[in-house]
Amino acid sequence: MAPQGGVVVAAIALPFLGAALVPLLYRLFGRVGGRLDEEGVGYVGAGVALTSFALVVSQVGEAGVVSFSWIPSLDVALRLQVDGLAVLFALLASGIGVCIFTYAARYMHGKDNLGRFFGTLLAFMGSILGVAFAADLVVLFVFWELTSVCSFVLIGYYTDDDESRYSARMAMLVTVGGGLCLLVAVAMLAIGAEAAFGARTFDLAAMLAEPEAMRAALETKGLFLPAMGLLVVAAAAKSAQVPLHFWLPRAMVAPTPVSAFLHSATMVKVGVYVLGRTRPLFVGEEWTLLVATLGLVTMAVGALLAVLATDIKELLAYSTASHLGLMVAGFGLGSHYGAEAGAFHLFNHALFKAALFLVAGIVAHEVGTRDIDELGGLWRDLPVTALITGVTALSMAGIPPFGGFYSKEILFEATWEAAAHDGGATWLFPALAVFASIFTVVYSLRFLWLFVGDRPEGTTVAHRPSPLLVAPAALLAVLVAVTSVVPDLAIDAVVNDAAAATAVHDVEIHAALPTHVTPPVAMSAVAVGGGVAAFRVVEDVRTAIGRVHAGLHAVHPEAVYDRLLSVTETASASLGPLVHNGLVRTYVSWALIASSALALAGYASATVAIPSLSTEVPVTIVLVLGVAVLAAIATTRAEAHVTGVLTLGILGFMVAIFYILASGPDLALTQLIVETLVLLIFLLVIEQMPAFYGELDRRIAARDAVVSLFVGATATVTVLVAAPSADRPLSDTARYYVDSAVPEGGGANVVNVILTDFRALDTLGESIVIAVAALSVLVLLAMRGRGEVR
Amino acid sequence: MTLAIALTVGALFTMGTFLLLRDDLVRVVWGVAIISQAANVYLIAMGGIEEGTFDLVPILAGHGHDAGGVETADPLVQALVLTAIVISFGMTAFALVLSYRAYEENGTMNVTEWAGGDQ
Repeated sequence: MAPQGGVVVAAIALPFLGAALVPLLYRLFGRVGGRLDEEGVGYVGAGVALTSFALVVSQVGEAGVVSFSWIPSLDVALRLQVDGLAVLFALLASGIGVCIFTYAARYMHGKDNLGRFFGTLLAFMGSILGVAFAADLVVLFVFWELTSVCSFVLIGYYTDDDESRYSARMAMLVTVGGGLCLLVAVAMLAIGAEAAFGARTFDLAAMLAEPEAMRAALETKGLFLPAMGLLVVAAAAKSAQVPLHFWLPRAMVAPTPVSAFLHSATMVKVGVYVLGRTRPLFVGEEWTLLVATLGLVTMAVGALLAVLATDIKELLAYSTASHLGLMVAGFGLGSHYGAEAGAFHLFNHALFKAALFLVAGIVAHEVGTRDIDELGGLWRDLPVTALITGVTALSMAGIPPFGGFYSKEILFEATWEAAAHDGGATWLFPALAVFASIFTVVYSLRFLWLFVGDRPEGTTVAHRPSPLLVAPAALLAVLVAVTSVVPDLAIDAVVNDAAAATAVHDVEIHAALPTHVTPPVAMSAVAVGGGVAAFRVVEDVRTAIGRVHAGLHAVHPEAVYDRLLSVTETASASLGPLVHNGLVRTYVSWALIASSALALAGYASATVAIPSLSTEVPVTIVLVLGVAVLAAIATTRAEAHVTGVLTLGILGFMVAIFYILASGPDLALTQLIVETLVLLIFLLVIEQMPAFYGELDRRIAARDAVVSLFVGATATVTVLVAAPSADRPLSDTARYYVDSAVPEGGGANVVNVILTDFRALDTLGESIVIAVAALSVLVLLAMRGRGEVR
Repeated sequence: MTLAIALTVGALFTMGTFLLLRDDLVRVVWGVAIISQAANVYLIAMGGIEEGTFDLVPILAGHGHDAGGVETADPLVQALVLTAIVISFGMTAFALVLSYRAYEENGTMNVTEWAGGDQ
């Protein structure tokens, strides 16, 4: 069945509408005061998210593209595609959004700037929904960048905090840098589409419908690998893949609801999602080599760093990177298992990770610390939270029969099959996957152990968490539990369709507990067994990892980032005084030389030809223009101010005569009046000023002459290349004005009709400019008289 | 014709730029004024210059017609330039008074001395 365009647009637009209204509502609620003031807008946000969620739910099972024209000449349109993958991603973003908003309303209780906070959070959710449904590369890019901008504002919520600002800027630079790669990849894909379909288009759905043709076109153009590489870099930056993972743990300085949203269902999934979306275009040997390796390495590195973490949010952040690696690896592997693993884990991870972040927020809120060493035995004080953690952390660890187990098992299957099929170095795939999974179990158990055992001395639980904080996490845990018991429920509803959308083969996800030993089952057994064994000596393991980590200090991506940033800052600090030193001549030189050079370079690269020149030149015009040039030279050489002003006047009057010769009587009239006025003003002003002429140093004069001649030559060339040939008819616009001046403007003087009728608003603007200039002149003169002195 | 205009525009830009690079603030304002004139001439040239005749003036009544279909000089660039003349007048006047005020504040017309440096 075809999707309903209006419903999809409403699902995306509502959050943005909410984002615009929430700050106003916040002010309104502020007048009412009380709980409405402190929490009201959060619940409004939850309502908006719920509405979007319901709208998306209504599209489950539909498939198709709806399109609204945007830039027809480039074939850019607001194309929205509804299919399994889009709906899965949108359901996660909006559904988890409901939980996050409810939780945040309570968590952010009474904090400052809630209008901005919830407004941005809503816009963020809307952008994610936009990415999910986008079937046009330009639309995808726009929403992609919007997510970066919103996350920047959200991560930098504590604007007074240095670390917060540092982290926000880091997230912005990394993800927007990735966005630029995406932009180039988009352009390359559009070029490929032009070759494949014969017309330029940004229609992603059309490209995905013809992957073979696109592939062939891109390969002929030599753009296949560059486009794929740039796309993967963009996705890696967004989805925190090694070595661009470092912004993600930093992003946890944001308020916990933001971390939960950012890390589970939204921001970081965008990269994974786009990989899944474009997978049918690129899947092949190179794709597997690049993407699967990237994913598995990230999975391992993330897991190791999560084991090393000392802060519960840091642990979860690294674990997010690791799980994103799992999904990326899944999408990287060519078999249908790969698509299944990627899509199914997208679903599982969103549920358990959002819940775990909410738990981390509850712990930090109620105990007052996030240091793992200071936490333990919390089950006595937070029994419900402990239960939630039990279900979700075991799902994260991939312990059967919890949800995460099924998707990880499919990934094992995919890596095993790839290795069995290709042999050789590809055996590293299953090895890496198991290695990473061992440490996944270790850090999951570490998190779970916050609630088990005895409470360390000195740690106290302030109070029971509000039900409003626990309920969203509990809801997510229930969903995890349901997926664990009856995985087919989710698979049939949406996950299988989602996997099918990313696959080039038939997809049929089977999720069940193993009944006999197969290689993947053995891999799972090794991972769980190894993980539990390693957890018994977790401190030794951590020391070992820590030693390696410290040894590699020089190549930590974050250190590299800092170095690059400081080099950039030093460079810009030293560039500033060079171009911005307070001297008019410096600014003029830079601006004019640069624009002249750019213009000439443009003519050269476009190989524009100078049109043939008519040799007929009326003597009158030569005379008039000649006198004008002589007057300009005289102005330049004038020793006294008065001489210069008078010769400048000659120039102006010559130009007026030129206008007469060029059939522009109105221009001539205006020019005469203006010249007379300027002459008067100049004479009045220079009377008040001293006769400073400046010593003209020969060397400086020569240097300036070179610059001036360069600029002048550029101007000459510009006129020559741009001037129309003499017999060219009037432009269409001019023709229109001439033809309709009398019938529509009721005036025979076309120039006047244009100014006072067709473009009357422009003329009004011009009058305002003159009025402002006159006022400024008055103010400048009058204020001094009133004693306003520096 | 185009060549004559191109050379004129080039010469005016050269002079204007040279004046912009001077230390004397009044001359900087002259430079701005000359470059404005050059830009206007350039704009007019973009309409395609033919030797002016009575018939080319874009005033329809003068041609004995009331309706369209008439060949005239390009009225669009003329309208643009008319606006530009007036705006550059405002700009020149403002720049002059600003220079005057700046002189009053700083006690000098030398822009290099303002920046506190030598050339």
